[in-house]
Amino acid sequence: MIRVENLGITFGRGSDAVHAVRGVSFEVGEGENFGLVGESGSGKSTVLRAIAGLNDNWSGRIVIDGVELGAKRDRAFHKRLQMVFQDPYGSLHPRHTVNDILKEPLSIHGFTDTENRILKALSEVGLGPEFRFRFPHQLSGGQRQRIAIARALILEPSVLLLDEPTSALDVSVQAEILNLLARLREEYGLTYIMVSHNLAVVAHVCQRIAVMNRGLFVEEITQEQLRSQTPEQGYTRQLLTASLGYDRAKIDEFVEFT
Amino acid sequence: MATKTLLDIENLNVSFDTPKGIVEAVRNVSFTLGQERLGLVGESGSGKSQTGRAILRLTASQGHISADKMDFDGIDLINADEKTLRGVRGSRISMIMQDPRYSLNPIMTVGHQVAEAYLVHSKSSKREARERAMEMLKTVHIREPEKVYKLYPHEVSGGMGQRIMIAMMLIPDPDIIIADEPTSALDVTVQLQVLALLDDMVRDRGMGLIFISHDLSLVASFCDRVLVMYGGQIVETLDAKALHEAKHPYTQGLLNCLPRLDGSHKILPVLERDPAWMIAQDTRP
Amino acid sequence: MTTSNTLRAWLLSDSPDSAFQARCQRFYLGWRVFRSNPIALAGFIIIATLLTVALLAPVLTTSDGTLQILSDRLQPPSASHWFGTDELGRDIYERIVWGSRVTLYIVSLVAVIVVPIGLFIGTVAGYVGGWVDNLLMRLTDIFLAFPRLILALAFVSALGPGLENAVLAIALTTWSPFARIARAEALTIRNSEHIMAARVQGASSMRIIIHHVTPLCLSSMIVRLTLDMAGIILTAAGLGFLGLGAQPPLPEWGAMISTGRNYLLDQWWVPTIPGIAILVVSMGFNLLGDGLRDVLDPRSGD
Repeated sequence: MIRVENLGITFGRGSDAVHAVRGVSFEVGEGENFGLVGESGSGKSTVLRAIAGLNDNWSGRIVIDGVELGAKRDRAFHKRLQMVFQDPYGSLHPRHTVNDILKEPLSIHGFTDTENRILKALSEVGLGPEFRFRFPHQLSGGQRQRIAIARALILEPSVLLLDEPTSALDVSVQAEILNLLARLREEYGLTYIMVSHNLAVVAHVCQRIAVMNRGLFVEEITQEQLRSQTPEQGYTRQLLTASLGYDRAKIDEFVEFT
Repeated sequence: MATKTLLDIENLNVSFDTPKGIVEAVRNVSFTLGQERLGLVGESGSGKSQTGRAILRLTASQGHISADKMDFDGIDLINADEKTLRGVRGSRISMIMQDPRYSLNPIMTVGHQVAEAYLVHSKSSKREARERAMEMLKTVHIREPEKVYKLYPHEVSGGMGQRIMIAMMLIPDPDIIIADEPTSALDVTVQLQVLALLDDMVRDRGMGLIFISHDLSLVASFCDRVLVMYGGQIVETLDAKALHEAKHPYTQGLLNCLPRLDGSHKILPVLERDPAWMIAQDTRP
Repeated sequence: MTTSNTLRAWLLSDSPDSAFQARCQRFYLGWRVFRSNPIALAGFIIIATLLTVALLAPVLTTSDGTLQILSDRLQPPSASHWFGTDELGRDIYERIVWGSRVTLYIVSLVAVIVVPIGLFIGTVAGYVGGWVDNLLMRLTDIFLAFPRLILALAFVSALGPGLENAVLAIALTTWSPFARIARAEALTIRNSEHIMAARVQGASSMRIIIHHVTPLCLSSMIVRLTLDMAGIILTAAGLGFLGLGAQPPLPEWGAMISTGRNYLLDQWWVPTIPGIAILVVSMGFNLLGDGLRDVLDPRSGD
């Protein structure tokens, strides 16, 4: 479904150039939930953004559903692939009502039956019509993220890119959103690429996981390997140990992986 | 090790006036802090941060604090005047906040800020303060302290920034540290390294630590005791090792809805909030 | 009492039923913040008074302020002439009242020209960046370099004196800072996640600039405008003083000071009272601007 080959992303030019991502390759099958994990600076969000078309300065090949992507994205692409961002407080425009937010993608792509689609999108994510004219500051974090998901799904895409969708949410709300995302994926046969730094979340929902460190690809592991804590690379093992909680003795053994 | 009680709080209440009415952020909170690591856990809106701020009377001006008792080493914090409080804040009770990018002064070198923290609370020369600051940077495991001393906050990484914050807060040798989500903005490996540092410092100096966080499992693995907050109240007090024996349905619900690394929670049960949990309790010991 | 209660409930409810209700609610909450600031309220009252006086001018006066009764010239304030009369026997009170319309006309016309231009240039420059940004900012710099009064003078001498030309001249020298403010805001906003979300949906740059960037720049524009009002009024008064703005017999306050300046020592009321009017209105706008900034500052929450 999605194939990324030798992806490289650079910021800046000439001597100031920063190679944020180098030589990353992976494949995602249709209907799969693929995880992309790493710490800050690993380049995982950068990879996602390059796929979404938010980044022009990339090299390599990206193929989605048989179509190879060029430098610019066309309208058809946007109907096929959408994105949910991390910060529910930043990804909704503070001066737009929920109605405005959900209407926008419909207006851009020329849909006319907006009222129905908006109400349907709201109920899909478990929100009633009374939320329609609220402003983002009148919504809780979980509700905002639901709106963000509704906005991503209203164009009926087949691929959803999720950039840390629950990192800014309370634990109990995270559970609701993860359940919602799982249900939607099953119901609509969606393909997900989920970026996260939280290994427990990834172990819960992703079938295959790519691990990144400092812009480079470390390894690809299966959900089974993650859950049984049997990755191959030392970096991944250290990450797993750290995810298990505070253990003073183990912390002394942490090393820097460059 | 016999721990003496450093902080004794009884029936702390914090409320705010808003256009839509009075919001009670903290209700009937009572607990004691010894020379231990006490975790204060809750989701957003639980009142945990407001509790931490109220101890140092740092609540915003529209807030009202009241308590039957808020004693620190014989000082009545509730009724103390500003002068007494200034003597307590920073030098006897310190606070570490979440993001060093925002809590460090962006136009001062980090070394200077640590030295200033020393100068403010003791009568010493600038040179002595500088020396103490350099020592402190070494204590928090910063390599090449001479080089780091001259850096500005935007030039240091998140983990290093938090170490610097810890250095700043510890240099006056306080009795209590209140840490409000000190590691939430950090990567997981760095998080643990910073916590290890805090752990060592607290143990070596016999300090009390109040660790405020939303991360229940992290708090349980790091602290000695855990207080779970919901709706402004403490709903459960536990020994960290006895977390699995939690009795309150909210705590149990929180534990259940955490995804597990070993995948043992197949479908995350949704936390059903019982309105009964919001009813004011009497938690006086 | 119940009607005001239901209105209040309607304004504070958490689930608005329509876009109209939602926007009314935002306005109401902003108004409450505004109302609690005495300085802002003072500014608001002054400007509201200006508006009311201008609106009710026909009601508040008996003539249009141009009636000359030469035998009555230079009379001090009295019961029959509240502010006295000027050198041509015209009632100063009536000229002040009608002059408020002229003042409002000037500031509205300038605002209507300056804000859209500044917004458009600033947001496009800030959002698009690159050579477009450079070009637009150099253009802005050129206009920024001219001292306001001098350019206004040059313009008016070229086009001829008159109120509209004076307004145009003032507008030309006022729009640059607005463009800069809009650009500064746009630079910060363009990295927001809601902009990224819009791009991922396939929104064109123009749509993003108009629907996403501009609404967030409006607050600082409004604040800047109210704070600039004082300057605009004074420049117009200055032009009027030099005889280049409003032409007689139009009761423009600056022109009134100019024609009355010879009488400052013996008949102080002739130039002083229009001067006080200008002072009060300028201050009103300043206070209003300060108050609005407190309300509209995004950092203080919504």
